[in-house]
Amino acid sequence: MIAREPVDVLIIGSGHSGGMAAKILTEKGISCLILNAGPIADVHKDTEVRQAYTLPWRGFKQPGRLPHVFQSNAFNANTWVDEKEVPYTYACGQSYNWVRVRLFGGRSLFWSRQSFRLSDYELKAKSHDGFGEDWPISLADLAPYYSRVEGIFRVKGHPDGLPQYPDGNFVLDDSPWCGSMQRLRSAGEQHGIPVCKARESLGVDGLASSVNLLLPDALATGKLQAIPNVVVRELRTDPKTGLIREAHFVDRLSRREMSVEARVVVLAAGTLESTRLLLNSKLANSSGVLGHYLIDQVYGAGLVCSVPEARDGRTSRALMDGSALIPRFRNLNTKAKNFIRGYALNCYSGTHPMDPRNFAAYGKELQDKLDSYSGSGFSMGIMGEVLAHYEHHVSIDKTIVDAWNIPALHVDTRYTDNEFNMAKDAVDTGCELAEAAGFEILTKNYEPNPPGYSIHELGTCRMGNEPRTSVLNKWCQSHDIKNLFVVDGASFVSCGWQNPTMTILALAMRASEYLAEQMRQGSI
Amino acid sequence: MRGLMEAPPLHLTPLIPDAVAGSTTRFFTERQMAALRQLCEILMPPLKGYPGAIDAGTPEFLDFLISVSPADRRLVYASGLDWLDAEADSRFGIPFDAVTSVQADALIRPWLRSWMTDHPPTEPHAHFINVVHSDIRTATINSEKWNQAELATGEEPSGLGLYWYPVDPDIDKKYLPRR
Repeated sequence: MIAREPVDVLIIGSGHSGGMAAKILTEKGISCLILNAGPIADVHKDTEVRQAYTLPWRGFKQPGRLPHVFQSNAFNANTWVDEKEVPYTYACGQSYNWVRVRLFGGRSLFWSRQSFRLSDYELKAKSHDGFGEDWPISLADLAPYYSRVEGIFRVKGHPDGLPQYPDGNFVLDDSPWCGSMQRLRSAGEQHGIPVCKARESLGVDGLASSVNLLLPDALATGKLQAIPNVVVRELRTDPKTGLIREAHFVDRLSRREMSVEARVVVLAAGTLESTRLLLNSKLANSSGVLGHYLIDQVYGAGLVCSVPEARDGRTSRALMDGSALIPRFRNLNTKAKNFIRGYALNCYSGTHPMDPRNFAAYGKELQDKLDSYSGSGFSMGIMGEVLAHYEHHVSIDKTIVDAWNIPALHVDTRYTDNEFNMAKDAVDTGCELAEAAGFEILTKNYEPNPPGYSIHELGTCRMGNEPRTSVLNKWCQSHDIKNLFVVDGASFVSCGWQNPTMTILALAMRASEYLAEQMRQGSI
Repeated sequence: MRGLMEAPPLHLTPLIPDAVAGSTTRFFTERQMAALRQLCEILMPPLKGYPGAIDAGTPEFLDFLISVSPADRRLVYASGLDWLDAEADSRFGIPFDAVTSVQADALIRPWLRSWMTDHPPTEPHAHFINVVHSDIRTATINSEKWNQAELATGEEPSGLGLYWYPVDPDIDKKYLPRR
């Protein structure tokens, strides 16, 4: 092996968390090398606007391909990690949807943009209801970082003054409510349920990704180098110091095995890939909880309605073009009957045609319904908190390897009564609000999508003050290995109902500034 | 490779094979195929200037699509079509492809459901009827014939999307599970 100089900081992963680490560290004058498992995409070269009939399967997903990526379709199938190339396993009857993107920028290229802060109802959940653990930090600790992240991502929102829906540094959304959403708000008031403006990252020129908001700043410092198309196999430590010394990786295409030495390693490969790497490297697990407390969010339960006044050609943007967010309202000051924690409801209305699956009809009868109901659709869907259980965990499946001979992950998790009862409450409450608003309920579904569907897998490398019960400290630094940081969603203690992106970014920013200061002081 | 950079683009609008050719292979039996064609005609006839499922070549396309689908999907279709045929025979003494629209409605309507994405009905007959209805609609609306009808009526094409080609593909894939 030809020896090279160690890099100062090796960042593994180029999504939101890796991008933020690169930006912060390089802006503080620290040289970084970022490794990414996949290639750099160029939308001008790699995409084309096409008609479904020109595609091989007439717009259907290729049979048997990506069965666990419900979000995949004939158009986007080539953006997701191939499940046969990077397999994983799960217990029989406990399906898990592990949804991955290895293109440079990761899932930050395609995320939904919903942008929320966790509240202390989530960060101090155990103090509130006795289950699980509190995070070692509070909203007050994260708030300054949230504000800076919201500024970079240009989060559009409206301040509501609700403790469970913390306000932020917003591009003010003072747009008027459309008529259908105003009716939902009135129904919510009658039920004591707040209906608020949703919050989303506007980004720049329509993109809110590490590739346009974070990595360019890092590259502009001249202190970031990047290698795409390399899959990290293992991290190794110096036997004398116990510190991470090097990362072994394999070139994705040529299969050439190489290694790089680093003074510090920042893992940002995505929750389960970061944990998988640590498990395969057999590192950072004196607590025994590495891989445990896997969480995500309940999605899939919801309802579809019709606004009668928008039917038969009477739809308009003033009545129907809108969205809202019902933030958590359960288990704040009162206790729900059969579940703890809470959920939010995404609400959408639109002037577009309705999905024919909302009608138990066919042929001319169905067409007549579609013509009549076009432009009257109103939907609500759950985003619910999943409880963190020790038993819900990932481990290495020694019988399966990926295309580069790296042992695969085994996922062992399932939803419990808490999640199912929460989903039922969400749908029933949505129905009550819809009926109070004068909407016709067409379809409803109580069944959550499989665990993992939300693409918000979190935990397995949780932070805490106690090295005996956590993998990381409150700075996302390994308790066991001082020059190892994990800055993606793996550090989460609980998930809340909120899309985790803003929190991942804030934690990555905070951890990176801490790391930079520690390096400046010579402590690391 | 000489001259390739200098050559002007080939101004050729490719045909899709369906435009001029038919499939030479068959998955469904003759009875199943006949039942599928009848189902296509009933569930999605031509309406308002748009082609029906038969005109769009949907039965033939679904025969191909299901033939290369995982076993569970092949079973849903094959057993569902057999069931429809058996029901028609049991109730009306004729195969499904010979039933009238009233008779077909009596067989189909009890199983129609409204449902949300990723959550089709789970009762076996309801699952088949609603999933095949959705597939028939998708295959028809995504057909070239449908697209031509949209253009003729001045409608926005419904099947348009941003297609991603494989990005720097690993052509030396070795992804079969080993050890």
